[in-house]
Amino acid sequence: MTPVRRWLPWIAVAVVVAAALGVGVVGERGPSSLQDRADALAAEVRCPTCRSESALESAAASARALRAEIARRLEAGEGDGEIRAYLVSRYGQEILLTPEATGLSSLVWILPVAGLVGALVGLGFVFRRWRATGDGVATDEDRELVAAARRGEPDHTGAAGAEVES
Amino acid sequence: MTRPEVRAEPRRRRFAPWVALTVLVGLLAFVAVLATRDPGSGVSADSPLLGEPAPLIEGSTVDGQPFSLADETGRWVIVNFFATWCVPCRQEHPELVAFTNRQAAEGGDAEVVSVVFDDQPDEVRAFFAEEGGDWPAVTDPDGRIALEYGVAGIPESYLVDPNGFVVSKIVGGITSDGLEQLLARARAGDQGGA
Amino acid sequence: MNAALGTAGITLGLAGSLVGAVTLAYGLVRHRPRLVGMAGVYALLIGLGALLAVFAMERALLTDDFSLTYVAEHSSTRTPLLFKVATLWAALEGSIILWAVVLAGYLGLVVRRFRTRLTDPMVGWALLTLFVIAAFFFWLMSGPANPFTEVAGAVPADGPGPNPLLQNHVLMAFHPPMLYLGYVGFSVPFAFAIAALVTGRLGEGWLLETRRWTLVAWGFLTVGIVLGAWWSYEVLGWGGYWGWDPVENASFLPWLTGTAYLHSVLVQERRGMLRVWNLSLLCATFALTILGTFLTRSGVIDSVHAFSESDIGPSLLAFFTLIVVVSVGLIGWRGDRLRSPGTIDSPLSREGAFLANNILFAAFAFVILLGTVFPLLIEAFNGDRISVGRPYFDRMTMPLGLAILTLMAVAPVLPWRKASGELLRHRLIWPAWSGAGVLVLAVVLGARGLAPLLAFFLAGVAGGAAVRQLVLATRRQGLQGFLGRANGGMVVHLGVVVIAVAFAASSSFAHEAEFRLSPGESAELAGHRVTYLGVETIEYPEKTALKARVQLDDGRIFAPALQQFPFATQSIGVPSVRTGLTEDIYLTLVAAPDDPAGEAVIGVLVMPLTVWLWVGGGLMALGTLLAAWPGRRRRPTDPVSAPVPEHRPAGRVPADEPSPEPVHALRGTAP
Repeated sequence: MTPVRRWLPWIAVAVVVAAALGVGVVGERGPSSLQDRADALAAEVRCPTCRSESALESAAASARALRAEIARRLEAGEGDGEIRAYLVSRYGQEILLTPEATGLSSLVWILPVAGLVGALVGLGFVFRRWRATGDGVATDEDRELVAAARRGEPDHTGAAGAEVES
Repeated sequence: MTRPEVRAEPRRRRFAPWVALTVLVGLLAFVAVLATRDPGSGVSADSPLLGEPAPLIEGSTVDGQPFSLADETGRWVIVNFFATWCVPCRQEHPELVAFTNRQAAEGGDAEVVSVVFDDQPDEVRAFFAEEGGDWPAVTDPDGRIALEYGVAGIPESYLVDPNGFVVSKIVGGITSDGLEQLLARARAGDQGGA
Repeated sequence: MNAALGTAGITLGLAGSLVGAVTLAYGLVRHRPRLVGMAGVYALLIGLGALLAVFAMERALLTDDFSLTYVAEHSSTRTPLLFKVATLWAALEGSIILWAVVLAGYLGLVVRRFRTRLTDPMVGWALLTLFVIAAFFFWLMSGPANPFTEVAGAVPADGPGPNPLLQNHVLMAFHPPMLYLGYVGFSVPFAFAIAALVTGRLGEGWLLETRRWTLVAWGFLTVGIVLGAWWSYEVLGWGGYWGWDPVENASFLPWLTGTAYLHSVLVQERRGMLRVWNLSLLCATFALTILGTFLTRSGVIDSVHAFSESDIGPSLLAFFTLIVVVSVGLIGWRGDRLRSPGTIDSPLSREGAFLANNILFAAFAFVILLGTVFPLLIEAFNGDRISVGRPYFDRMTMPLGLAILTLMAVAPVLPWRKASGELLRHRLIWPAWSGAGVLVLAVVLGARGLAPLLAFFLAGVAGGAAVRQLVLATRRQGLQGFLGRANGGMVVHLGVVVIAVAFAASSSFAHEAEFRLSPGESAELAGHRVTYLGVETIEYPEKTALKARVQLDDGRIFAPALQQFPFATQSIGVPSVRTGLTEDIYLTLVAAPDDPAGEAVIGVLVMPLTVWLWVGGGLMALGTLLAAWPGRRRRPTDPVSAPVPEHRPAGRVPADEPSPEPVHALRGTAP
């Protein structure tokens, strides 16, 4: 079989997936309405009197008032940033459910990404070292373990008993 | 425990104790942070409004009288957000009554304004008739006043100075004595600043 | 009477666990097997004490004994029977009784399971650890969270009943016990991890034991979490089922580390690697259950208006510190000696996929822990008060979720050691077509947007991969092919896939609106007609319900309601849901009319595929059951995890199976 023939099914899958994704992504809704913007803003704002619901989800009176205020200000032509700034001037930073990406609070965004990248890089290094050293060489410790197992230490019979039971 | 001790190999670096130590120090610092957080219901609370002009309160009281906070310039005002369905609010009500009575008896220059938070005017009227209290209770039907003050739960109270600036925010129930002390401190701060 | 009975139970349990712990510690350190073998007696005492406490509390609840503060504050004569029983776990003090009795139950099971080996130091240290944990919880009940305090002064004639939200739905009777069975269940693998660290024995015995106990706990926790989501969907009335609330996060964290463990333990079982990491995961899982309890019960989170926090915060934090110091200390002391010399040949292999899985789950757990405690850290550092909420968690976990789905799509077909491109091409083509099919179907049905479509596609591939494995297994072994950890695991994967699809669909393609309607008026949303017919008031012994009558297009009448409980000051909304295979219609009464002829505000939410969330949860539970099914011998194709025969030279594996790495094999099977 030629390589093309071998890969034919995969090329077909790729074409179908790409086409479907293309249709699905291009067909997304266009510019959002005022109501959509209001909902998006309300979803990022905490309902002031609730435990951890957003102003969009909550049925509490304070969330209702917040939604009305956001709609009023959007209609008056204010931008998202201005509305957020107004809410912060009343409730403090606490009202925003997404921490700012500046200053100390940006750490909440950076740390997980840095941790993930660090872990992947670390794993890459380990793999390289493993590849360099090849398969494990039996150490003294290993030999001793083998010897111990061969002697049939009383301890091991205990451990083995558990396995048979399970 | 009965297993013959296996000597650690000299070739391999000692590595675990250092990692463990780092993790331990980090976690203990975290515990220290958790241990020093006091769980809530602090009396005086932070608010971006402190030092700012008090948001307007324009509206009518549950008795149908017009009310405007601007008319109270020159007096200390405690703006108290409450509802009859809120248990701590009901508990603090007698304290507010005591406070206003004392103010009236001593000819003080402080007064209380309640703002109704998500409650029916009828209920509030009945509550005041039963529990006492003759200060204005302003209705806030669409919650705008509460929003302007950034109310995050009730009861919550704000102390407004004679010039119309917010001096202090109190979260949770207040007592008559506590209010007197707060007022005294605010007056001292006021003179100090002037 | 009930107070005396309960206090007696707690005292018995506390004495049993303390004396048991001291006896075992002495016996283990001084090598007195006779003392160590007495663990069963103490476990029995603890079990009796816990049962006595439960009995006393349930008796008090059922007989309306308001002389107990707990009953007076959380129950009432009008509470229906089921919720009276469930009031045991409706508030803090009672839920600690539940915790203790579940722990005593697990303790009893451990003793029974190892009845012939109680003097084995490994079992001894594990039981000692469990005794210490039990002592802590009995101590909590005897002091900081005493459920049997009596009311001062006159005994009230009645009480306010449980929190209205907790007496609204029958799920309340099942969700907390499941969650506790999961939470507490992690104490057993933790205890064995500590025992393994202390004794230095990390062989197969430890491994198999902890894996099955962890699987059981994990299964209960999964069911508990899904039931919790279902409860919040059916009761809370905002139409959602997961809001990244600290309480939810607290239950999710041990689930994530537990999931990571269940995968990486397979690498240890097969290759003898990742021992220290697996131990750390078990310790972290248990520590996270305690930390979660602290975060949600101490009031440090949502502190501004938490009027009802309790005093057990410092105790829980101290216990958490103890766990951390002991486990990290032991790992630091033993870690180097436990490290295995094995290597992983290729990232593109089963073990490579498990490593990637662990990194993703660890990152997931880290994101959630960080987001949950970040406001506390910032406030401690510079006094600023900030919030971290749903948008943050959604944004951060979405890529992780997609990455996990990708892994689920590829990993099941990967062989151990090393996979070739050729092999992947063959094994993955049908799963890939299944993904493409799901994707095309979704696009044809009108789904739009990159993230949900990617989720559908990856879920399709992952589902295809899982089905492929199951088909192969059943072809080989018949119905037996569904049993065992690998194939049960595939059923769990299918459950996850179903949940992922339902989650993506219901969170991306819901329609929501509120309508102000007079009686007889109707409105339309997403092709459904909603007609408001009127309201009626119904009096129950424990509550008053104002029910709206709402007709949906098919003619059935639903009754979203507002309920008023006598001692609760605000009314509680009760949604009414038409559940369907393709979509749910979720109705709420947002605002009641002022008079019967007036306008009501009806909330309507049309959410696709919601029911599949619960179906997926059921599949996960079923898969766990299949994976943990007892009695089945492991397949002989697992040379490395085969038991070490007692009278045969170890190191030789069954002849029909070549052993790729005898040295590592031994490291996996020896002590």
